[in-house]
Amino acid sequence: MGLVLLFNAFNGLIQGAFYALMALGLALILGLNNTINFAQGAFMALAAYFAFTIVPYVGFWGALIIAPLLAGAIGLVVEVALVRRLYSRKDPIYSLLLTFGLAFIIQDLIRTIWGAQGVPLAIPGFLDHPLSNTYFFLTGYRLFVVAVALIGTAALFAVLRFTRIGIRIRAGNSDLETISALGVNIYLLRSANFVIGIIFAGVAGILAAGQLGLNPNMGDTLIMPAFVAIVVGGVGSLVGSLLGGLIIGLASGITTAFFPAASEVVIYVIMGIMLVVRPRGLMGQEGLFE
Amino acid sequence: MSLLVLENVGRRFGALQALSGISLSVEPGELRAVIGPNGAGKTTLFNLISGFFPPTDGTIIFENKPITAVNPTALVRRGIIRTFQITEIFLALTVQENLRIAVETAMGINLRPWISAATRAAVTRRVEDLADTVRMSAKMHRIAGELAHGDQRVVEIGIVLAKSPKLLLLDEPTAGMGDEETNHMTDLIRRLNKDQGITMLFVEHDMAIVFGIADRITVLDNGRMLAEGNAAEIAGNPRVQTAYLGQAA
Amino acid sequence: MSTDLSSPRTASTKSPGKFTMSRRGLGNLILAAVLLAVPFWLPLVGGYTDLASRVLIYALAAMGLNLLLGYTGGLSFGHAAYFGLGAYGVGLMLKYETHSTLLALLAGTLLGGLAAALLGPIVVRRRGIYFSMITIAIGQMFYFIAVRWNSLTGGEDGLTGFSRQPIHLPGVTLAMGSVDFYYFVLLCFGICATLLWIILNAPLGHTFVAIRENHKRLTFLGIKTRRYIAISFAISGIVAAMAGGLDALLDNFTSPNLLNYTLSGDFLIIAVLGGMRNFYGPLVGAVVFIMMRDYVSSITDNWMSVIGLVFVVSVIFFPMGILGFFNRKSSS
Repeated sequence: MGLVLLFNAFNGLIQGAFYALMALGLALILGLNNTINFAQGAFMALAAYFAFTIVPYVGFWGALIIAPLLAGAIGLVVEVALVRRLYSRKDPIYSLLLTFGLAFIIQDLIRTIWGAQGVPLAIPGFLDHPLSNTYFFLTGYRLFVVAVALIGTAALFAVLRFTRIGIRIRAGNSDLETISALGVNIYLLRSANFVIGIIFAGVAGILAAGQLGLNPNMGDTLIMPAFVAIVVGGVGSLVGSLLGGLIIGLASGITTAFFPAASEVVIYVIMGIMLVVRPRGLMGQEGLFE
Repeated sequence: MSLLVLENVGRRFGALQALSGISLSVEPGELRAVIGPNGAGKTTLFNLISGFFPPTDGTIIFENKPITAVNPTALVRRGIIRTFQITEIFLALTVQENLRIAVETAMGINLRPWISAATRAAVTRRVEDLADTVRMSAKMHRIAGELAHGDQRVVEIGIVLAKSPKLLLLDEPTAGMGDEETNHMTDLIRRLNKDQGITMLFVEHDMAIVFGIADRITVLDNGRMLAEGNAAEIAGNPRVQTAYLGQAA
Repeated sequence: MSTDLSSPRTASTKSPGKFTMSRRGLGNLILAAVLLAVPFWLPLVGGYTDLASRVLIYALAAMGLNLLLGYTGGLSFGHAAYFGLGAYGVGLMLKYETHSTLLALLAGTLLGGLAAALLGPIVVRRRGIYFSMITIAIGQMFYFIAVRWNSLTGGEDGLTGFSRQPIHLPGVTLAMGSVDFYYFVLLCFGICATLLWIILNAPLGHTFVAIRENHKRLTFLGIKTRRYIAISFAISGIVAAMAGGLDALLDNFTSPNLLNYTLSGDFLIIAVLGGMRNFYGPLVGAVVFIMMRDYVSSITDNWMSVIGLVFVVSVIFFPMGILGFFNRKSSS
């Protein structure tokens, strides 16, 4: 039983890492672009399919870097051509419905180009073996997923804290008007922010594809938990989103060990409890970082 | 017996002492002005009285009961109603609809999912009375957002009047108005005070207006009370002159 | 600004009085005549009666949603949950408990409505964009329950093994074929639309609109706005649940997809496409959306892209919807 529990908890943690990556990207875009990006899951799938296509030419490692950038480029086009037009509209419904429609279109394109059937994504052989006979679930790949998630998150936080654009993104989150008055080009800033958010989704997509394979709807299963992660972690807090993702992943994994049928529902129950006990979430409304 | 009493009230924001040692009392039927240079603490004082946030020192007493930690919604029910520096009305609705929601709220019938012809008539009558009082009858069916700025402020006063306030708090009622609009507003304030006996406390920038209509004037400077008295006393007060002229010059 | 109408009236608020009243009355009369005659004229133009029932059902759900969305200003992306609960309620009742279509519909409506009434107070703890995220997430919870509770709900395959039953009224028996059922749906639609209209023209409806326009002002008139948003949420959930129940009766089947957020998105786009500031906007939106989807999915495999484009185009170019668009045209 102990081993089964450990196995499921670890699985949950991996799952939580995916949720956290998705939630971080979503939270970034939510903060500065004031947009719930429903197409985040579709962009994630898109990056994974890009990776699938370019792995034969640039290898897994090359794809891990290039494919999210390609998805980011598409994201840039979408932001400049469409999302940007809606910033001036106060009602959030428009950006929400726009990205919702975009998700339909992207998924349909993926289906048309790559087919509706799932396909596997080849991962480097040395990552594919269990590291221990007892702890059979500790494959190199899973540890690798955790490592990439950690590095990606650390990199994001470093960018936000130490680079000029990152500092401006943070400032823009708290007061867009003021930094605009200070002469910062907020259009450029929002575009950059949107692209960074998409790149995060892309990395998550490729990592997920390496473990579960690809299919056009792969983003659907991750985007809802990512919403929950943001609500649980606290709106406006990136650390919160990260923690929220890990917590609900872990909770879902542990529930699988005892009551598998409830493994999805449990995260919504956690969110409900959080809303009643602490509506602002774990780390909500205390600024971006604290 | 005073309607509103502040005893040694102060408010701190972190290290910043925005207000301290404010003691004043407003009598029923009084028209009281609060003036002072920018940053004197006028808006903070307003927010304390209307329950936006509680004071960090002292007590506020309304009708002989402390209201120091009472939230804004409850204060409204006790009869303390305010307007805002930036007009808060229902911009996409007509003047009539603006007043109607206020009247229905005052009548406490917001929860009714249907309405009888008699109640509807009572609401309409009350709305028409209000429009008449604030002289907006001719513009009843205009969209509030399309009205001139001065008219929008008048609509806001109409809205708060519906609640029959015991104490009406007006935050810079003539801010951003032209001469004619200002005259209308001061006339309205004076009428409401004299004809309907509504006790009012208003924050104002324009000294001429204040001296023209206020019964008593409280002068704030740097978060403290500088002086209090009627127009003549304030005008002759050397400390007030220094504070104002020093700032104006 | 002029299209941003505050009240349920579609005509301009600037010209009140008898003329608008009678024009509205006439409009309602024509609408009723057109809807009543659907089974006669729709086949002539290549439609089928069940499609008209579907349009009305979606219009009803979107109209319910629009009480919250268009009039109260609460963006719920989770109304499929209450629609789906209504559908499962009806299906389970007919399968296990009763042969009465009416009783089953009542039970389904209550089930979905109760869920909305209980969850409303939790949901309204956050405003704006987070309100939307929470409504989506709560909606998904019901989706997963339906998928996982195989023994009761039939899991991913959906619930089968029930069918709508004839309705026995004193003197008449409705066999509930396609045409009978259409009139049954129309009756439900008419009742709900009338009730919504009455609410919107009463203080409760005025309060909803005032919350949408300026909740701060209302709070400073002494109104607890959250309570009213929760009430709006509950009412709109009840209407959506009834629509869901009718949907189950139409298909004699319910699928977990009826609980999914994709369907919530459909309801939203129907309201926005038709015009969410207009009382009949959702009806217009449903006609356009359902007809178009029916047609497009019959001619191309890429119909999802087309639907996606409908979302994109209507959001960018017709933010006030079809009715709002024509209103502006006529008033300018």
